[in-house]
Amino acid sequence: MDFIDVVIKYTPFFLPAAWMTLKITLLGIAFGLLIGLGTALMRISNNILLANVSRLYIFVIRGTPLLLQLFFFFYVLRQSLGLEAFSAAYLALAIHNGAYIAEIFRGAIQSIDRGQMEAARSIGMTYSRAMRRIILPQAFKRSIPPLGNQFIIALKDSSLASAITISEVLLQAQRLAAANYKMLEMLTIAAMFYLFYTSIFTWLVSWIERRLDVDSDKQRGLV
Amino acid sequence: MSYMIKVKNLEKSFGRLKVLKNVDLNVRESEVVVIIGASGSGKSTLLRCINFLEHPQVGTVEINGQLVDKNNEQEINKMRTQVGMVFQHFNLFPHKTVLENVMEGPTQVKGINKFEAKKLAQYYLEKVNLIDKKNAYPSMLSGGQKQRVAIARALAMEPSVMLFDEPTSALDPELVGEVLCVMKELAKEGMTMVIVTHEMGFAREVADRVIFMDDGLIVEEGIPEHIFDNPQNARSQEFLSAII
Ligand SMILES: Nc1ncnc2c1ncn2[C@@H]1O[C@H](COP(=O)(O)OP(=O)(O)OP(=O)(O)O)[C@@H](O)[C@H]1O
Ligand SMILES: [Mg+2]
Repeated sequence: MDFIDVVIKYTPFFLPAAWMTLKITLLGIAFGLLIGLGTALMRISNNILLANVSRLYIFVIRGTPLLLQLFFFFYVLRQSLGLEAFSAAYLALAIHNGAYIAEIFRGAIQSIDRGQMEAARSIGMTYSRAMRRIILPQAFKRSIPPLGNQFIIALKDSSLASAITISEVLLQAQRLAAANYKMLEMLTIAAMFYLFYTSIFTWLVSWIERRLDVDSDKQRGLV
Repeated sequence: MSYMIKVKNLEKSFGRLKVLKNVDLNVRESEVVVIIGASGSGKSTLLRCINFLEHPQVGTVEINGQLVDKNNEQEINKMRTQVGMVFQHFNLFPHKTVLENVMEGPTQVKGINKFEAKKLAQYYLEKVNLIDKKNAYPSMLSGGQKQRVAIARALAMEPSVMLFDEPTSALDPELVGEVLCVMKELAKEGMTMVIVTHEMGFAREVADRVIFMDDGLIVEEGIPEHIFDNPQNARSQEFLSAII
C-alpha cells in the first residue's frame, strides 16, 4: 500500500479523536473567555485584593508549563474533586487560556480612551454600567485579532491532553502507529486535522473582523 | 442667597503637586462664569472637581443646595445627572449613532423608556441643529458637529448646570462659531454654566463673571469689562496682554 492509500484508509479512525480535540478546545476556550473577562475586570478594579488575586493567578499560570497544569488537574485535583479525565483536561485548558485571554482583554480595555469612561460617568452612569455599555463593546472589538491567535494556540495546546489519557488526535496517532508501524502516515493524518481546524478558526476570525470592519466603514460613511 | 454651585475651600493634589489651593467658587442660578488662566493653572481640575471626576482632598461641593458626600458613589451619580459636562475632545461613544449617544443617559441612567427618550433626544438634537444627522455615527461628523452632539447628550439629562472644558480648543477655526452659537443660545435661555475657554470675545459677550486662575488659586474675578480692560493682578495683566 502506498502512502496515500494508508492515509485514506486510516483517516476515519481519527474521527472520534478529532471530535474530542474539538470538544476540549472549544470548552477550554469558552470557559477561558469567561475566566479571562472576570480576571481582566478584577485586575483593573480599584479593589486591591481582587487585583492582586488576579495578578497572582496570571503570574502562576504564565510562569508554569501547561503540561504541569494538566498533571496538576489530572493527578491532584481529579481525585479530590472527583473529576473525569475529560473535565480535568478542558478545565486545565480553560484555566490556562483564561490567564492569556485576561491579558488580551485587559490590554484592549486599557487601550480605550479614558474620556469614554469619563463621559459615561459624567452623565451619571455607574462604573459597571459604563463598563458594560460603553467600554467593553469597544474593547471586545479590539481583542478579536489577538483572541483569534490565542484560539489557534489553544487548539494546538489541546494535544498535550494526550499526556493525561485523553484520546485526542495526537494520542490516536501514536496508538495507531504503535499497532501498524506507520508513524509518518499517522502523523500526517493528525497534522491534517489540526490544519483543517486552524483554517476554520482563521477563516472565522477574519470573517468576524471583516464584519466589524464593515461596521466601521459604515460608521465612516464609506458604505 | 442660594447658589447653584457652591464650592468651598477646595484643595486638590496629584501626588506632591498641589493643583488647587483653597479655591472657593459660588455660581448663582442662570449665571455664566468663564474661567481663564495659563496652562496648568488648574482650570480643568477645578471643573472636574465640581462633578467629582477628580476627588479633592479637602473641601466641599454643593449643587443646588445639596451637599455632595464624596465618599458616597450613589450620591455622586445622582449629582452628576444634574451636572452636564462637555469635554475638549467630545468623547462621543463611537459604537453608537448620534441618536443613541443622546438617548444613552435618559434610558440607562434615568430609566426613561425608549419611546420617550427618543423624543427627548430628538428635541435636543434639533436644538443643536443636528436632527438630520441622528442616524450617523460620530466618525462621520465634523468636530463642530461632534461637539454639538456632545452638548445635546449632556442636555438630554436635563441638568441644572453645564460645565464646559475648552469645548472649542480641538476644533478647526471655522467650526468654532457653530459651537459657541449653541452655547450662547443656552446662556440666553438661562442655563447655569461654568466655561473654561480661551475664546475671549465669547467670554466678553456671554460671561456674567470672569475668573482668572493662576497656580491653583483664583487671583482675580469680576465682570468681563473689568477683567479684560482693567485687570488689577499682575499675573492677569501679563496673561491678557500675551493673548489679546
Ligand atoms: N491626572 C493627573 N495626574 C497628575 N497630574 C495632573 C493630572 N491632571 C492634571 N495634572 C496636573 O495638574 C496641573 C493642573 O492641570 P489642569 O489640567 O487643571 O490645568 P489647566 O489649567 O486646565 O491647563 P490647560 O489650559 O493646559 O488645560 C498641571 O500641572 C497638570 O500637569
Ligand atoms: Mg485644561
